[in-house]
Amino acid sequence: MKRFAASLGLVALLAWGVPALAQTAKDTLTVDLPGDAATLDPQVQWDTDSYTIYRNIFDNLVTRDTAGTIVPQIASAWRNLDDTHVEFTLRQDVTFHDGSKLTADDVVFSIKRITNPAFNSPQLSQFDQIADATITAPDKVVLSLKSPYPVLLAQLVKLSIVPKADVLARGDQAFNLKPMGSGPYRLREWQKGVQTTLDANPGYWRGAPPFKTVIFRAVPDGSTRIADLKAGKVDIVRGLAPDDAIALKSNAQLQVLSVPTERVGYLFINAQGGPTTDLRLRQAIAYAIDQQALIDALLQGYGKKVTSIGAEPIFGYQPDIKNLPYDPAKAKALVKEAGAEGRELIFNTSPAYDRRLVEAIQQMINDVGLKVTINVSDQATYLKRRQGTPQDAGSIAIGIWSCACQDADGVIFPLFRTGSSWAKYSNPAYDAAVDAARSTLDPAKRIADYRTAYQILRDDLPGIGLYQAYALYAARKELHWQPTPNESFFVMDMKWQ
Amino acid sequence: MWRYAAGRTLQALVAILGVLTIVFVVMRAAGDPTLLLVPQGASAEAIDALRHNLGFDRPWIVQYAEYLRDLARLDLGVSVVQHIPASDIVASRLPYTLELASGALLIAAGFGIPVGVLMATGRGGWVAGLLGTLVLAGQSMPSFLSGILLIAVFGVVLGWLPTSGADDLQALVLPSLALGALSMASFARMTRIAVLDELGRDHVRAARARGLSMTQTVLRHVLRNAAIPVVTVAALEIGNLLAGSVIVETVFAWPGIGQLAIQSIEARDFLVVQAVVLLVSAVHVATSLAADLAYALIDRRIRLAR
Amino acid sequence: MRRASIPPAIILAMVLLTLIVVLAVLAGWVAPFDPTRQSLLLRLKPPGTVTASGAHYLLGTDDLGRDLLSRILYGARASLSVAALSVSASLLIGVPVGMLAGWCRGWVEILLMRLVDIMLSIPAVLLAVLTVAVLGPGFFKLVLVLGFTRWPRYARTAYAQTLQVAGLPYIRAAELAGARAPRILLRHVLPNIAGPLLVVATSEFGLMILFEAGLSFLGLGIQPPAPSWGSIMSVGRDYVERAWWIVAFPGAALFGLVVCVNVLGDWLRDRLDPKLHQR
Repeated sequence: MKRFAASLGLVALLAWGVPALAQTAKDTLTVDLPGDAATLDPQVQWDTDSYTIYRNIFDNLVTRDTAGTIVPQIASAWRNLDDTHVEFTLRQDVTFHDGSKLTADDVVFSIKRITNPAFNSPQLSQFDQIADATITAPDKVVLSLKSPYPVLLAQLVKLSIVPKADVLARGDQAFNLKPMGSGPYRLREWQKGVQTTLDANPGYWRGAPPFKTVIFRAVPDGSTRIADLKAGKVDIVRGLAPDDAIALKSNAQLQVLSVPTERVGYLFINAQGGPTTDLRLRQAIAYAIDQQALIDALLQGYGKKVTSIGAEPIFGYQPDIKNLPYDPAKAKALVKEAGAEGRELIFNTSPAYDRRLVEAIQQMINDVGLKVTINVSDQATYLKRRQGTPQDAGSIAIGIWSCACQDADGVIFPLFRTGSSWAKYSNPAYDAAVDAARSTLDPAKRIADYRTAYQILRDDLPGIGLYQAYALYAARKELHWQPTPNESFFVMDMKWQ
Repeated sequence: MWRYAAGRTLQALVAILGVLTIVFVVMRAAGDPTLLLVPQGASAEAIDALRHNLGFDRPWIVQYAEYLRDLARLDLGVSVVQHIPASDIVASRLPYTLELASGALLIAAGFGIPVGVLMATGRGGWVAGLLGTLVLAGQSMPSFLSGILLIAVFGVVLGWLPTSGADDLQALVLPSLALGALSMASFARMTRIAVLDELGRDHVRAARARGLSMTQTVLRHVLRNAAIPVVTVAALEIGNLLAGSVIVETVFAWPGIGQLAIQSIEARDFLVVQAVVLLVSAVHVATSLAADLAYALIDRRIRLAR
Repeated sequence: MRRASIPPAIILAMVLLTLIVVLAVLAGWVAPFDPTRQSLLLRLKPPGTVTASGAHYLLGTDDLGRDLLSRILYGARASLSVAALSVSASLLIGVPVGMLAGWCRGWVEILLMRLVDIMLSIPAVLLAVLTVAVLGPGFFKLVLVLGFTRWPRYARTAYAQTLQVAGLPYIRAAELAGARAPRILLRHVLPNIAGPLLVVATSEFGLMILFEAGLSFLGLGIQPPAPSWGSIMSVGRDYVERAWWIVAFPGAALFGLVVCVNVLGDWLRDRLDPKLHQR
C-alpha cells in the first residue's frame, strides 16, 4: 500500500514536473495583474489593468522610450505650425491586424472619436484642448488647439489609434469585446474576469514580438500573485509591496524589477476646512513628518525623498525648493502657539493606500500634540469626500499622484488650482503662475512659472511631497526587461534569457 | 397544497423586488462611479459633464423607474464601467460560482453530517470530541488566512495543486476546502442536535428497547426525521456559501459571483451589482421556498394556510 | 431528572473562556505596552526580542514595530465586544420576529417571513461594505451592521422551532386553559426553542469575529490603529513566511475561543433541552 502511494506520488510528480523541464524556448509569457481589463477599447477605460493589456494591442501616435523621452510611433515627425497648430507626419508602412493600411483617416477618426462629448470617454479631459484634426496631405494630419498647450505631446502618448472602418462596421460594443489594432499583439480570447490571451502579430512593423502568446491573468490578492510566481505558474507579477520585494530577493530563481516613476506620494492638508485652515498647524504637520524614516522603514528604500509634490521625471519639478525639515520640537511649539493641543484631525483614506504609511504618519502627527483619527472607507467614498466640499474632505489625506504625462501641469495644476475638485486651497498668485505655465510653449518661461508656483506651495502648505514611488515587479530570472518611469508594460520590450 | 405553493411563489417575487429596491437605494446613497472613471487630473467641469451624460445627476426616483421599466422587459442594462450587458457579465461568472458552491457544499456536508451523527450517538467519546474540535478549527480561521496557507502548502511547497485560477477541476479543490470549512461546523452541530432530538423520541427508544443496534436505529428511524432541521441549515448555508465566497474567490482568483459582486460594488457598477443581487436573491428565495414546501410535505403536523 | 456532574472538558472550557474574557477586560492593566505605539526600527521582531533599553517583546512585534502581545490583549477586547454585542442585537430582533411569525401565522407570518427572506437574500458582506460606504466606519456602526444583517438567521430558526412547538399538546392545553399569548410564548415556547437558538448564537459568535476579520481584510473593519484579532491576522497573512508569529498567536487565541464557546453552547443546550432530561 505504501509503495503504491509512493509510486503514485512519483507519477504525479513526473506529470507535473516534466513539461516544466522540457520547455526550452519560451512561447508563452504569463502575467499576473491585480485585475482584469475593464474594457479593451483603448478609448474608453483608463485604469491601469486595462491600459496594461490594450497598449500591447494598439499603437499610439507618439510614445516614450525607456529614458522617458517622447519618440515617434505612428507619427514619424511633428512640428509646430504656430502656437495652436501642430502638424504630424505619419508612417506609411503600418497595417492593422486585418491587413488594412493605417491611414491619416484612422488617426483623425481616433482623435475625433475620443474628443466627441457624446462618446462619453472618461479620458476626454486629457484631450479636450484639441479643437479639431484635419488631413492636409495623405501622410499629414494637423491638430488645432483651443489655446497654446505645452503638454499636448505628453497627452498624445496615451492616444491609441483605432481602425475607422472596423469600428464603424461593427459598432462600439462589439469593438470593445474583440478589439483590433496595429500593435505587436492581437487579441485571441478575452475570458471576462479570468484572463486575456494575446497572440503575436508576426507582421508587426517594428519586428517580430518576443513571445508567441501572452496571457494576462486577473489575480486580486497580492500574496496569491507571489505564490503563483513561486510555484512557476506565472513569469511576472505586477503590484508588489516593498516588504514582499525584500522577501523575494533571497529566491535564486526570481528577481525584483523596479524603477523610480513619475508617481509621487504626497500628504494633502486641507487649507479651507477644519483646524488646518490655521497655517501654523499646516506648518506643524510639515515639521512633524520624518520623510526619511517612512522611506527607509516602510518603503524599504523603494522610494526616494522628494522636496515638493513632484519628482525627477516631471517637467517643472524644483528639487532646490525644500520641504520644511523634520523638526518635532518646532512642530510642538507651533501647535502650542495655535492653541490646538489635542485638536482632532480627520485622516481620510481607503484600502488603495498603504495602511502602514497612514498609521506611521498618524503617530508622527500625534507625537507633536494633535490627535489624528483615521477614517477608512472604500475608494469611491474616499474620492467623493476628498473631492467634495472643504468641510467634508477631512484635514489630511494621503495620495499617490500620477498624470502619466510627466509634467507639473498634470500634477500641481489639478491638485491646487482654484476650482479644481481636488483643491481645498485658493491663492490668486498661485493660480496666475500655473495658468501662465500652461499657455506658453516656451520651456524656460514655464520653468520660471513653476518655480513661482512651487515657492507659493511651500509657503502656504496645502500639501507636502513625501516620496517618489517606485514601480515594483517580480519576475523569473530569465526575463529581461527595463520598466519605465511612466509604468507602461510593453511586452515588445521584453526578452527571455 | 397548490394554492399554498402559488401564494408562496407570489410572496417570493415580492421579496425579490424588495431586495432590489433596498440595494438600489443603498447603492445610490453610496455614490456614483464618475470619480472612479475619470483620470486623476480631470477638471471639475469634465467630471460634471460625464456624470450628466451618464445620467447619474437625475433624481433617484427617475433612475429607479427607468430601472424597473427595463427590468420588466427583462433588460438588465449595460454596465457603464465595462460597456457589456450586465446579464452577460453575470452569466459568464455563474458556472464558476456553481462549481465552487457545489464543491464547498460537498465538503461541508460530507464531513459535517457524519461528524454530527457521530457526536450525537457516541456522546462523550474521545473520537467524537476530536472530530468536533477539528470541525470547529475550520470555523475559527478567517478564510483569507486559511486560503493563503492552503496555497502556500499545497500549491507552492508541495506543488500538488494549482495556486490560483480556474483552469481545471484540480483548481477547484483548494477554494472548495477553504469555503467548505466555514460551514462544516454548522452542519455538524445541527445534525448532532437533530439526531439527539430524534433519539429521545418514544418510537426511537422503543426501537432501541427491541434490541436494534445504534447504527440500525439511526439509519432506519432517526435520519429521516432529523433531516428537517438539517434541510433548513442547508438552505441557509447555500446563501452563506454564495456570499461567503467573496473573500475565498478573491484569494484564489476564482472568477465567481462573489468576486464580481465586491469588485462591482467598489467600482459602483450599479447595474452589475443589481444583476448579481437579483440572481442571489432569486436563488435564496427559491431555496427558502423549497425548504418551506419540504416542511409542508415532510411534517404533517404543520397546518397549512388557515 | 438526574443531575449530571459537570464533565472535565466543560470545566476546562469554562476556565479558558473566563481567562480570555478577564484578560480582555483587564487589557489596560495586563498589556506590557501601548498597543498602538510604533517603533519603526523594531519591525517584525521575533518572539522573545529584548531591546538594548530592556524592553521585552514576549510575542514579538508586528509590521510597524508594535508589541504583539499588547495588541492581542486589546484586540480580544474589540473582537469579543463586537461579537457579543452583535449577537445580542441579532437575538433581540430575530427571536421575537421569528416567534411572532410562527405563533400568529396568517398575514403576520407572511409579512415577517418575507422580510426575513429579503434580508437573508442580500449577501451580508455586500450589505456591510455598502453600509460602511454610506454610514462611514466605526465600532458601533459595525455592530449595527452585523446585527442588522444577521438577525434573520435567528428569526428563521425561532420560526421553525415555534411552528414545531406550537403543535405540542401541552401548549394547546395552555391555550385552551385561557393563557394569553405573550405568557405562553415566554413561559412555554421560549424555553423549548432556546436550545437550537443557543446553538445558532454560539456558532454566530465565532462567525461574527470572522466577519469582522473579513471586513478588516477588505480594509473596512475596526479602524486602525486600534487592533482586533481580525485586523492583526489580516496584516499577518502578508508576512506568513517572514513573521509567522503575527498570525499564529491571534489565530490560536481565536481557535481556543471558538472551541470553548461552541463546547459550552452545546453542553448548555443539552442541559436546557427538556426532551433529553426525560431519559
